[in-house]
Amino acid sequence: MDIKRDYYEDIELFRSGTILVWSILFLIFLAIFPWLIQKYHPLGFSIYIANLIAVHAIVAIGLNILVGYTGQISLGHAGFFAIGAFTTVIPILKWDFPLFIALPIAGFISSIFGFILGLPALRLKGPYLAIATLGFGMTITTIIKHMEFFGGRMGLQAPKLEFLGTPLKDIHFYYLIMAIAVLMTIGAIKLMRTRVGRAFIAIRDSDIAAEAMGVNLTYYKTLSFAVSAFYTGVAGGLYAFILGFINPESFHLIMSITFLAMVVVGGLGSIMGSITGAALMTYLDIKLQAIQDLPAFGSALVVFSQKYMSVSGISNIAVIVYGLIMILIVLFEPLGIFGFWIRTKKYWKTWPF
Amino acid sequence: MVKKSLFLMSGLLFITLLWMVPLVSAQAVRGVTDTEILIGQWGPQTGPAAPWGAVARGTDLLVRIINEEGGIHGRKIKYFLRDDSYQPAKTKAIAKEFVEQIGVFAVVGGVGVACGMTARDYLMENKVPWYGPVTGVYNWITPIQKYLFALYPLYDDEAFNLTGYLYEKLGYKKIAMFYQNDDYGKQGVMGVERYLLKKKIKLVEKVSAEVTDRDLSTHALKLKNSGAEAVIMWTMPTHAALILAETAKIGYKPQWATSNTLSDSALMMQITKGLWAGMINSFFGELPDSNHPLMVKYREWHKKLAPQERWGVFYYAGIIFAEPFFEGVRRAGRNLTPETWVKAMETLKNWQGIGPPVTYGPPNTPMDRQGGKHVFYGKVRADGSVERLTDWIQITK
Repeated sequence: MDIKRDYYEDIELFRSGTILVWSILFLIFLAIFPWLIQKYHPLGFSIYIANLIAVHAIVAIGLNILVGYTGQISLGHAGFFAIGAFTTVIPILKWDFPLFIALPIAGFISSIFGFILGLPALRLKGPYLAIATLGFGMTITTIIKHMEFFGGRMGLQAPKLEFLGTPLKDIHFYYLIMAIAVLMTIGAIKLMRTRVGRAFIAIRDSDIAAEAMGVNLTYYKTLSFAVSAFYTGVAGGLYAFILGFINPESFHLIMSITFLAMVVVGGLGSIMGSITGAALMTYLDIKLQAIQDLPAFGSALVVFSQKYMSVSGISNIAVIVYGLIMILIVLFEPLGIFGFWIRTKKYWKTWPF
Repeated sequence: MVKKSLFLMSGLLFITLLWMVPLVSAQAVRGVTDTEILIGQWGPQTGPAAPWGAVARGTDLLVRIINEEGGIHGRKIKYFLRDDSYQPAKTKAIAKEFVEQIGVFAVVGGVGVACGMTARDYLMENKVPWYGPVTGVYNWITPIQKYLFALYPLYDDEAFNLTGYLYEKLGYKKIAMFYQNDDYGKQGVMGVERYLLKKKIKLVEKVSAEVTDRDLSTHALKLKNSGAEAVIMWTMPTHAALILAETAKIGYKPQWATSNTLSDSALMMQITKGLWAGMINSFFGELPDSNHPLMVKYREWHKKLAPQERWGVFYYAGIIFAEPFFEGVRRAGRNLTPETWVKAMETLKNWQGIGPPVTYGPPNTPMDRQGGKHVFYGKVRADGSVERLTDWIQITK
């Protein structure tokens, strides 16, 4: 069943009929999601969360290419995210570029920075690379903050988007983001199955061995950074329009760490893991704020928190639960949600043994 | 395996539970029922900006006081406080939750420019009244919005007036400025220089520091060499403490003056180890130990209802930013809608709680939506309390 007879079978997008069917079902689900959800939940709020999840999923895929597949680390992805956001908004705001031109440009500008950051990565490893990228993320926001061109510390308001004269609503934007997210996901899956993807994986497993086999480390390591930055940049551009307003302070260190957490919780070296990780973390991050409104359970938490923790009460609970979920997942399932999926799949395949 | 499944099942159950957070049924006016008015506020309760979160909890105190006293026109206030951790993405989610899921009548306060800006257009499109964003910038009043009323005095005008006070009333002719090199600091510089230009003089020295700078010894030396008699600082608390320590070290003691963002004198005394004494400060709310009858009342309720909170400036700022809103609700009467509330707010003329006198009008110019146009000046005593120097002074025309 899993035997590959030739190269083209190995690089196929859908490895079996089952995957194909499920993928199509998932796409149909995405298409009718707004229609499904509005019966049970306020539409605008749900669409907003869905959009945010999609954007974070694109970032997580990009970061996973770097961290999960190439074995490099980055604590500076909020920097690329910021570059993407500002370089998308500014051409549209100042020179009336259409979004479909501004967005790829932002991606490419971001990937140029990715390439530059990739250069020190050739000599740095592990914690040292983490520090270098961390510095990068913080530098970018500081630079943006001091340039009037980028709106300074006060930030920029993203213009209202139009398509052929009609203003785009949230719901239109949802389909736009989903289309981009799906395309970029397919792109990432394909990339990982080509020569480039295999070179990344070889570098992750052992860069010395990879080089001995003829993988050009300089080329592939910087390429990995550039691709990762491209994904993050495009996501940043979309993010600017979801929020409607961006300022450099929004792209902080915590954001970079959250991105990394999404990848780890979802599963390193797995595209599907990145998506589920992004979905879970984003969803919890927003919905946990309402934890005190849960029937019975919520008010008990408030009392507990105010008595034993701090005056601000419930907010701490939300953060603690959020952290606890992350710890539990990594503790019980080091491969993240993706690892859980593999295990469940095996369990069903071998049932009843 | 069983353990793992249980773990997963409980996780899924938890996630579905979160979806089930109760929905509010549709009403004629969003957020107003026969017995309740629903209002919301976001504010950072966790993360690096958490100290500012006290504002949102201060509003909670005022809501509880109003409810203890029987509510407004037979309606109790139901207050929703949400933590956005100072992250705009969360703020926007909260705004949507407020409007679509909880269905609030209005939003009150809200710390942060970026946070508020992500929500501004959304709230205005849905005709949700928003009272008193907690930042003194022009974004709230330009372009002018029907349902958005600002309170916080504008930084720029405040700096203009503070300089005038030092120059004319106190007679300091050689004035220098120390500011942080970003938009906040630059707004201060703008106001100061605007005043001095009018008097046809110049700052004797203008020293800026990057927000990340930690060694301010050269900055201090520059200020000393300028021979300035008075120095205006427009910075965050950390830099204020650092520059005071450095100038004290080299024996330079000018008259310092600063904006109301640093008006928590008790806190500033602590972090400057007493060097804050003598500071001339502008204030936009009554002093913590003021004998103003409303302050006395609020302090008593504070002891009764929220004794765990420190009675600091940020905390009771939450009251200042909500008082005029509730006055509007009172004036709108039993028939409360966004329209009647806006009409009622526009009748406020020099109305005063514990904050500055508040005046609004029909939206013709941006200043018709800028309520706070006054500050007063005070001088910090050696024990951290404040000696009030002036009455309320109008700073914005």
